[in-house]
Amino acid sequence: MDSTMLPEVTAVGVIIKAVLILAVIAAIAGFGTYIERKILAFMQRRLGPQHVGPYGLLQLAADGIKLFTKEDIIPQHANKIIFAVAPVITAATAFIALAAVPVFPGFTIPLVDVYVPSIASDINVGILFVLGMMAAGLYGPLLAGMAQANKWGILGSARTAIQFLSYEVVTGLSILAPIMMVGSLSFVDFNDYQADGTWLVVYQPVAFVLFLIAGFAETNRTPFDLLEHEAEVISGYVTEYSGMRWGLFFIGEYANMITIGVIASVVFLGGYNDFWIFPGWLMIIGKIAFSFFFMLWVRAAWPHVRPDQLMWLCWKVLMPLAVINVVITGLVMMII
Amino acid sequence: MYEVIAFYVFAVSTTILFTITAMSKNVLYAMSSLAAGMVMISGLFFLLGADFLGVVQLIVYVGAVMALYAFAMMFFDATKDIKERHQNAPLVFLLGGLMAVLFVVMFSAPIIGDNIQALYPYAVDEFGNSIKNAEYVGMILFTKYLIPFEVAAVMLLVAMIAGIILAGKKMDYSLTECEVSDEELKVEELDIAEKLKKEEA
Amino acid sequence: MSLEQFKNRNVGTQNYVKLDLAHTPTTGWGQFKQVVGRTFKPELFVGLWVTFREMGNALVGGKMHTTQYPFEKLPISPRYRAIHDMLRLMESGNYRCIGCGLCEKICISNCISMETKYDENQRKEVSEYTINFGRCIFCGYCAEVCPELAIVHGPRYETASEQRASFSLFEDMLTPIDKLNLQQEYDGFGAISPNADENIKPTPLAY
Repeated sequence: MDSTMLPEVTAVGVIIKAVLILAVIAAIAGFGTYIERKILAFMQRRLGPQHVGPYGLLQLAADGIKLFTKEDIIPQHANKIIFAVAPVITAATAFIALAAVPVFPGFTIPLVDVYVPSIASDINVGILFVLGMMAAGLYGPLLAGMAQANKWGILGSARTAIQFLSYEVVTGLSILAPIMMVGSLSFVDFNDYQADGTWLVVYQPVAFVLFLIAGFAETNRTPFDLLEHEAEVISGYVTEYSGMRWGLFFIGEYANMITIGVIASVVFLGGYNDFWIFPGWLMIIGKIAFSFFFMLWVRAAWPHVRPDQLMWLCWKVLMPLAVINVVITGLVMMII
Repeated sequence: MYEVIAFYVFAVSTTILFTITAMSKNVLYAMSSLAAGMVMISGLFFLLGADFLGVVQLIVYVGAVMALYAFAMMFFDATKDIKERHQNAPLVFLLGGLMAVLFVVMFSAPIIGDNIQALYPYAVDEFGNSIKNAEYVGMILFTKYLIPFEVAAVMLLVAMIAGIILAGKKMDYSLTECEVSDEELKVEELDIAEKLKKEEA
Repeated sequence: MSLEQFKNRNVGTQNYVKLDLAHTPTTGWGQFKQVVGRTFKPELFVGLWVTFREMGNALVGGKMHTTQYPFEKLPISPRYRAIHDMLRLMESGNYRCIGCGLCEKICISNCISMETKYDENQRKEVSEYTINFGRCIFCGYCAEVCPELAIVHGPRYETASEQRASFSLFEDMLTPIDKLNLQQEYDGFGAISPNADENIKPTPLAY
């Protein structure tokens, strides 16, 4: 894809793109709950949600109606403003992170002739921006836990702080090696670097695995879902939440899963380049869908770890591995 | 036009948020407004075209430093108001005022002085090619500011080692598996038993 | 099994086989080796494969476990003691109950009450027969004592109802006269369930 061939990006196009991202990703995030329940059910040889609509497809609507009409409880001794703001932070940071990510391929709306770009805001430090926004996302669970005047909430937010802070290090270091190879922080450059069909995962398998592991921790998915692990801390930081505020946390989590999927596909798995007979847009959607499925698959297969194992894994295994990987990449680049 | 509006939005919200940080008696409000203010500052960086600095501001200040503050806050009830104790109000006023004046002088010095010149990350190098922000920051760091950069790196290394030594003194020493403490407990029990015997006698 | 062994009621750890677990490494090098070993063992991927295989089994292999309960029901065992059924004679369609009152007598929770009278042929006939299901403990004595196999436990285990009386009248429990040919003979206590063959699994010998 040559950037000079693309039509000019107008403000209207960007706004349309932003609305598209909000609408589509929010819908997918809601729909993700259905997919998750269905896949987990299949992996346990159950049927999953089935009675609302054909194959239970309208379960999302039923859940939405339930969430919207549920009583919105704010505990008496909670800090009301922070309590109300916290879920918005989670959802907002998740969507802001998507602003710098190529989610769908660019296209032109036929009649009005408005070009809708692939990335809402193509800043040249895209990867760092996404990582930074996901780092800022830790304030959602953190403030939620601290504002609700509940011991489980405090435990949940303490776990948020240690887990997110530790694994940010691994995410940053693991993605540093591919950044060194490509020499840019822009997603478009990453995509173009792999345009010849050789995916970066071939050169950087260690970084890919490390990034996936850290991605699981940052999105609070199952092997590392310590923040709200029911058996240990009731619901962690969402203990006191109900209704749509709780739903916002959920939407944020699913949007983050999609973001991680997009980063993994663009940085390591060849991006939106054409592959064999498959067009680019199909490839990127397929890769994102697979990484989403992989997260659910792992949830069905693996047990979750203890907090001390989590910290041990981060600081004694993953972080040194990531540093070694960066050093080796640097040496190889220097010699060749 | 948009830039001006955006600048004022960011500037006003930064000021308001940091005022809340300084004035609020509630730790939770103070911390969250400080973090939000940091985000607004990174917005200012983005407006100036310093994308890299803006992102670093996000990652370092919002993502790491403030989260560490929050971590320290776990140890007390964050939902309660704090009573501040000023033992010497004039001194607090004087020190705070001095700090403010000092900052104003520091930041207005480049405006007044002619000899001080900062290197701004330009978007175009001397050959007319566009350079990306991150690359230019790297070039400046490793040419003009190399020595401060390396000194800062060494300082951070020293701080890290010191932190590890401070925290890791008894890291491999588990209290639950510790036999010494068990024996100490036994000795205490024996002492108590002897005392009881003596009292009985 | 010798008598001493048989009489030894102190069943405990004497027959246990200790697993040959590896030692917890104490040295740093040992721990490192353990971590590396565990990292490159395929165990994690075995877990992934098992879940994926089961998904294939469920979706393609037709091994879905779910019984969609209100729409499909598993056969219940004939030993199951649900709401009673009053049976009729297959040939004539008359009640089997001869009004002997044994079930009323034996009922340990006193929930059966019946009234009898002589009909025009001077035969005993049941005029009122009710079971108070608020009291019935479904012990099955009534069915066991009945000399005519008239009262048995039927298969109706879904006993949620708006009124207690919904099940308890004689007419409710009695086989309808038009469905007489569908009347199931009671297999009796100790009968095995109709799908017993499917449920049979080999018992591990070293249990």
